[in-house]
Amino acid sequence: MAALRPTVLVVEDEPEIRRFLRLALAEEGCRVVEAGAGRRAMIDAGTHKADLAIVDLGLPDLDGMEVIRAIRAWSPMPILVLSARAQERSKIEALDAGADDYVTKPFAIGELLASVRVALRRRARPVTGDSVLIFEAARVDLQRREASREGRALHLTPLEFRLLACLAARSGQIATHRQLLVEVWGPAHERDTHYLRIYMKQLRGKLERDPLRPRHLLTEIGVGYRLVLDD
Amino acid sequence: MSSSGAGSAGYIRAIAAISAATLAGFAMEARFDPVNIAMVYLLAVVVIALRDARGPAMTAALLGVLSFDLLFVPPRGTLDVDDAQYLFTFGVMLAVAWIISGLVASVRARALAQSGLEAEARAERMRSALLSSISHDLRTPLAVMQGASSTLRERGADLSQAERDALATDIFEQAGELGARISKILQMTRLEAGAPRLDADWTSIEELASSALEGLARALAKHRVLVALPDDLPLIRVDAVLIEQVLANLLENAARHTPEGTPVQFSASASASEVVVSVEDFPGAPPAADVSMLFEKFGGERGANRGVGLGLAICRAIVVLHGGRIWAEPTERGLAVRFALPRTHAPAPPEPEAR
Repeated sequence: MAALRPTVLVVEDEPEIRRFLRLALAEEGCRVVEAGAGRRAMIDAGTHKADLAIVDLGLPDLDGMEVIRAIRAWSPMPILVLSARAQERSKIEALDAGADDYVTKPFAIGELLASVRVALRRRARPVTGDSVLIFEAARVDLQRREASREGRALHLTPLEFRLLACLAARSGQIATHRQLLVEVWGPAHERDTHYLRIYMKQLRGKLERDPLRPRHLLTEIGVGYRLVLDD
Repeated sequence: MSSSGAGSAGYIRAIAAISAATLAGFAMEARFDPVNIAMVYLLAVVVIALRDARGPAMTAALLGVLSFDLLFVPPRGTLDVDDAQYLFTFGVMLAVAWIISGLVASVRARALAQSGLEAEARAERMRSALLSSISHDLRTPLAVMQGASSTLRERGADLSQAERDALATDIFEQAGELGARISKILQMTRLEAGAPRLDADWTSIEELASSALEGLARALAKHRVLVALPDDLPLIRVDAVLIEQVLANLLENAARHTPEGTPVQFSASASASEVVVSVEDFPGAPPAADVSMLFEKFGGERGANRGVGLGLAICRAIVVLHGGRIWAEPTERGLAVRFALPRTHAPAPPEPEAR
């Protein structure tokens, strides 16, 4: 089974944080490669054939953003970003630069491992994502453009389908406002955030059991949305 | 108090006072000596010297001398002076203006220095109270973490698994608490350091509410949370991260100060000009303490000694930054804290879809 052990590159300058990440990731069945600085990380990402990179945005030698861009320039490997709270702008920047998701520091290890699992799973099954989405109270078949709620047919508009498909393509991970607006409405609407507010409300009304306590169509305040489906 | 004659207002007042004195002089002329008319001018000069700075006072004296000489001292219509005693009158008028305006300026400067000192002392008292409160708030969770972790390190082998778990859980939870307190202190510092740039965008109150409730799931677990939002609530243009924090602080505050099992209600409504959001708690009676201090830096804790008491002060700073207002209303059975945000023009809606 050794071949199935994914290699995770941890780019983080604090040795104490690297330690518990190493312990927890090893326990999770990963091979861990550690880099304490950005330049080291860019080399290690290639030589160790990493399957996933966890990148801290605050590195001593260069901006974590540069590491993300450098890796993205040659590899589609999933990239998870570690960033401090209250830095929505840098989270968005990292996501737009090609990161797949972020975990906010300080974090509990369970939260990070969940993101690692999602990222590794998506790597194994890329491109389209799921085509049948199972919600608590509803079911949507993106390919056949069919939806039902508690056994009864449910009408979704073409744009609602398209928005859901964009979220499903990143299932479990965050989609930024800009990404969704560009993919659903086109580049001319990349700043029309209110379109998303209106359509997400419609979707929650149709698909969530309690739209005010959504379980699947989650808001990441200031950044975007995340579709979470049960496994 | 006048603004000590800064700018042109003092000079305009000087001209007005001398004009008034001149009118009075014309009215008196038939029955009074010119010397008494000079007194009226002197009065005008004194008034300006008391009220305004030296510049306007000297201007008034000079204008007074000229008007008096031109209009009331024979030969009229010229600046010639027949009688040496009038020269004395002029000298006195200028001297009075100089002396009084100088006195007033020094008294004002002293008062200003005094009030500056007092404000400084007040700020200093606030700072030291804040510091001692903050250090208490940070040290308490730290004490638990250090004590529990050193127990694990030095005695861990002798403890049962359940005891080790309990200590580890304490460390984990206190770390969370410490993190939350540090964020609040940093947030307050940022807000006080000057208006931060608002990252305003169209935002849905429903989404802010569900996100805040989700983040506070543990803090609110022992309360019954009721959410009452009308379906047609408009979008608001705000910094979503900051306003979510206001909601979270209000909800957390309500839960922290009311008994387990009591309800906490979150509601919102919209008028033509603003959106009002309320967080209401129902412990059974209105708060005993004065609610007017609630939004001050230490007043926000309704007598409880947990937390720095920055939560509501942060809420106020954020709401004010958005051009809104926040207030507390004692109710029959508890307390309602509400805030209102201005409604801006609605954005152009997306094009309707063919159904």
